[in-house]
Amino acid sequence: MDNQNNAKPWRDDFSMILDTIEKGWWGFVDMVARLGWGRLMLTILLSLMLGGILNIEHLMLVLSLVAILVKVLALGKHQAEQEADRAIARSEKAEQQAELEALKRQLAETRMSALQAQIEPHFLFNTLSSVCQLTETAPAKAVVMQKALIRYLRASLPEWRDSPGETSLGQQLELSRAYLEIMQLRMEERLQVRLLVPASLQNARFPVMMLQTLVENAIKHGLEPKAEGGAIEVDAKVLDGKLRVAVRDDGVGFPEQPGQGMGLANIRERLAMLYGAEAELSLEAPETGGTLAVIALPFTLI
Amino acid sequence: MNTLTALIADDERLMREQLRMALERVWPEIDVVAEAQDGGQAVELAREHRPDLVFLDITMPVKTGIAAAMELGGEFPVVFVTAYDQYAIRAFEEGAIDYLLKPVEDDRLARTRQRWQQKQQPTPQDWQGALLKLSKQLEKPEYLRWIRASVGNHLRLINADEVLFFQSDEKYTLVQTPACEALIRTPLKDLLPQLDPDQFWQVHRATLVRVSAIEEVRRGERGLMLKLRGYGPLLEVSRSYAHLFQRM
Repeated sequence: MDNQNNAKPWRDDFSMILDTIEKGWWGFVDMVARLGWGRLMLTILLSLMLGGILNIEHLMLVLSLVAILVKVLALGKHQAEQEADRAIARSEKAEQQAELEALKRQLAETRMSALQAQIEPHFLFNTLSSVCQLTETAPAKAVVMQKALIRYLRASLPEWRDSPGETSLGQQLELSRAYLEIMQLRMEERLQVRLLVPASLQNARFPVMMLQTLVENAIKHGLEPKAEGGAIEVDAKVLDGKLRVAVRDDGVGFPEQPGQGMGLANIRERLAMLYGAEAELSLEAPETGGTLAVIALPFTLI
Repeated sequence: MNTLTALIADDERLMREQLRMALERVWPEIDVVAEAQDGGQAVELAREHRPDLVFLDITMPVKTGIAAAMELGGEFPVVFVTAYDQYAIRAFEEGAIDYLLKPVEDDRLARTRQRWQQKQQPTPQDWQGALLKLSKQLEKPEYLRWIRASVGNHLRLINADEVLFFQSDEKYTLVQTPACEALIRTPLKDLLPQLDPDQFWQVHRATLVRVSAIEEVRRGERGLMLKLRGYGPLLEVSRSYAHLFQRM
């Protein structure tokens, strides 16, 4: 027992001495490494001269050669270490940056989708009012309308949405289909709907609520203000690796008057955040009248 | 029984039908002589049929119910019918003009009938004042927010929020966005008063810049230069506009 107790401090002392020597050695190596070649050569020259005077030139020559050797080896070590430090710092920074970016994106996307989910009260009350009327005059139609309203609410209210970021074009189209079904029951012969999205693109990745914003705009600003109404057409295609979803109407055209654009600014901001320069929302006034809105973004499948 | 005549205007057939059915139940002496599908038609039919009462939906194509009522200028007593209209409700609560919420409740419609019978209709002055207030709320004067510009063969609609700057270029005005450049025929001097002065600043005889796009103001050899977000070349600030940036 005693032996062990005594032995331990001795071992500690020994390892401490080793540590000190090691530290001293690496300190010397680092110092030599940092020392420029010019200074090193000057030191060697002076040492050799001193060695000559003191008559220990052989020893000095050996020491000088050792120093040069150390310098050569240490330089590599020093550079490697510095590079490693820089690389670590870079990767940490990049990681933090990426994490921060992801967080920012998530936050903004949540905020945006919450904003997007504000259902137009005018739409809701008008629809409910129409359901009342249909209940009295055409109960079968009232049921159809009410079911479409339920589907629409389920898909558009954020807390009931399955996944805010990851949706397919098919899912988004279903939401707009429910909305358009309601609008068609309300506007009757004043609204024709053409949904021309091919089945092969139903599984394409597509952000939430963007198609719906374009569809609502086409109805609200294009077709509802037109006395005789008109048609809305939604189609999608892949061109140059980009998914292009177009919403076209032959309504009154884009309003000269402002007051709109909130939804569109929203889409633009979200596209920039999700895809950077890879995505775009463009609006055109076709010669045939009405408005054409196109969202183009990288084509990937869910 | 004295017959009253009425006009119903609403762009949705179901809503017209709803009101007509409610009137049949609550106010049987009313004879709906005409139905209009938009505000323009409402004005025409009102002048043609000269009804005792006009029921107007507020959000209608061609003309809003309020615009139609203003055009009729108090010639006919009007009852507004609306599904949801925060402006209408607020404004009508102050005045004596009647309004109905869809779906029209029988009890509520009976009250409208009572008011009619007691001749508690608003005087034309109140009426016009309330209408003016309403139409102002509906159509706020605002600045140009959409710029129609040609890009290649297309007529593109560019949101003012997207524009980095406008620059006059002899015959045309160049509209620069992060994604594209486009041309419009409107000269800078005509464009300037149409834009929100808080959003766009003139920084040069030939340049209007969207303030929120400015990333940096640099001091160059020839004076101040602007670096815009997502756009390489710098824009020059001429001396007469340098004061805009003095506090930045």
